[in-house]
Amino acid sequence: MSNIAGKAYAMNAVTPMHWYTAWMNKFFFWVSGRFTSFLGGLLTLSLIHYARWVIVKADQFPRLSPDQPKETLKYHYMIFFSNFNGSWDQYVDSFSSAISGGLDKFWIFSIKYPKSIPMLPFHRYITANQIWTDHYYNAYPMASSNDVKSARRVKDGLLAFMPNVERASPEEFQQKYNRLLLSLQHDLSQMDANQVVSLAASSVEHRLHKEIEKEKERLPVRQRAEM
Amino acid sequence: MANKSGNAYGLTLLCPILPGSPKQAPQGMNEQTYAALIRFQLQQLAVNERSPMARVPNTYLSRLWVLNDVPYQGRPATLEHLKSAYLVFSSNFHGELEDYLHGMWKAVEPEIRAVLQYCVGFDRVANAATFIQYIKKCQVTTTFFFNGSSDEPLAVQLKSLYLKQEFSKFAFANQGKNSVDLQAAFREFVARAQPSNLARPTWRAGAYHLDTVVLE
Repeated sequence: MSNIAGKAYAMNAVTPMHWYTAWMNKFFFWVSGRFTSFLGGLLTLSLIHYARWVIVKADQFPRLSPDQPKETLKYHYMIFFSNFNGSWDQYVDSFSSAISGGLDKFWIFSIKYPKSIPMLPFHRYITANQIWTDHYYNAYPMASSNDVKSARRVKDGLLAFMPNVERASPEEFQQKYNRLLLSLQHDLSQMDANQVVSLAASSVEHRLHKEIEKEKERLPVRQRAEM
Repeated sequence: MANKSGNAYGLTLLCPILPGSPKQAPQGMNEQTYAALIRFQLQQLAVNERSPMARVPNTYLSRLWVLNDVPYQGRPATLEHLKSAYLVFSSNFHGELEDYLHGMWKAVEPEIRAVLQYCVGFDRVANAATFIQYIKKCQVTTTFFFNGSSDEPLAVQLKSLYLKQEFSKFAFANQGKNSVDLQAAFREFVARAQPSNLARPTWRAGAYHLDTVVLE
């Protein structure tokens, strides 16, 4: 079990709200989707890869067989999924510090939501409603969300630069190369595996690695090479 | 529809899990519930580049977890319970849902069967088409999807990360060179890194160590 995949942390939180406030919550989301000024703070927190809010009521829980009992929940439930860089504390505190107002808009109708300031009740609220991830996969665990965005600029910059210097003299090349470096100076950096954020996540990875190695030893040499 | 933001799709599934325990449980798992068996299966999956999700085309980030019940908020809130437990699957990927699910079935059918065999209605899944039907029945619509990343195809993202890494090394290593040597070094860099070739060299999906990340 791990909420961590490289530099990304997976948060899941499930919070109830009354049916008669759920529509207002949906309205806030609708407005946020159309007017990005509502998302100002969220965009500033560039540590998020993707985040998602899903509000479900009793009859929206999938029922795939007549034998499966119908859900009879009184509340609507908001399921929150986030993929962010850094530790749990860094993330939750960033929310409280940077976009407390915006955050409150999204959760204000959740029952007993304490608001994001002061931080301690907010921490307790998230902890009480968070559910751990059993398997988490990240296609680029060495990269932060900012790395992914800056990599795009590096790629675009290089692809535009290459035809531009194909027949350039060395002096002309150097001038254009310096200009390229200047334009990409905020995007160039080397990535590496993170320091250990969680001992649990680190030991899960270590255990699975050892199991794979054991499995390899049991296989004939030819199959081992293919693994 | 809020399932999409730009070219990124946010898929959320709540797959109802069978009630009770199987008559014939896997070895060492007697009297465990179906929900516990699913959790056990999920925790046995390899991580990083060996995760089955690394083989599913265009997956940016995905997760699986079990929702046994809804959290209680304490008095005066009402205490209520779910009638079924649910396997929650969340995936952020590039492209359209059906293409993605086709790719998933093709890439990891045995792993899908190993986990979803304990879910209600999965016994009617026989092929990619019925798998897609099943998934659509389990899908819940996203209320709000925030895309804070790039939403290019995964192969483009991975190549871009490779180029960022390699070009950063190049810029560092070639500081202060004269224009003739610099131009020659850049030509070598382009020949080696092949910036326009998405297939190789690039970054391996899911890899988390410098010694395994480059796919030559």
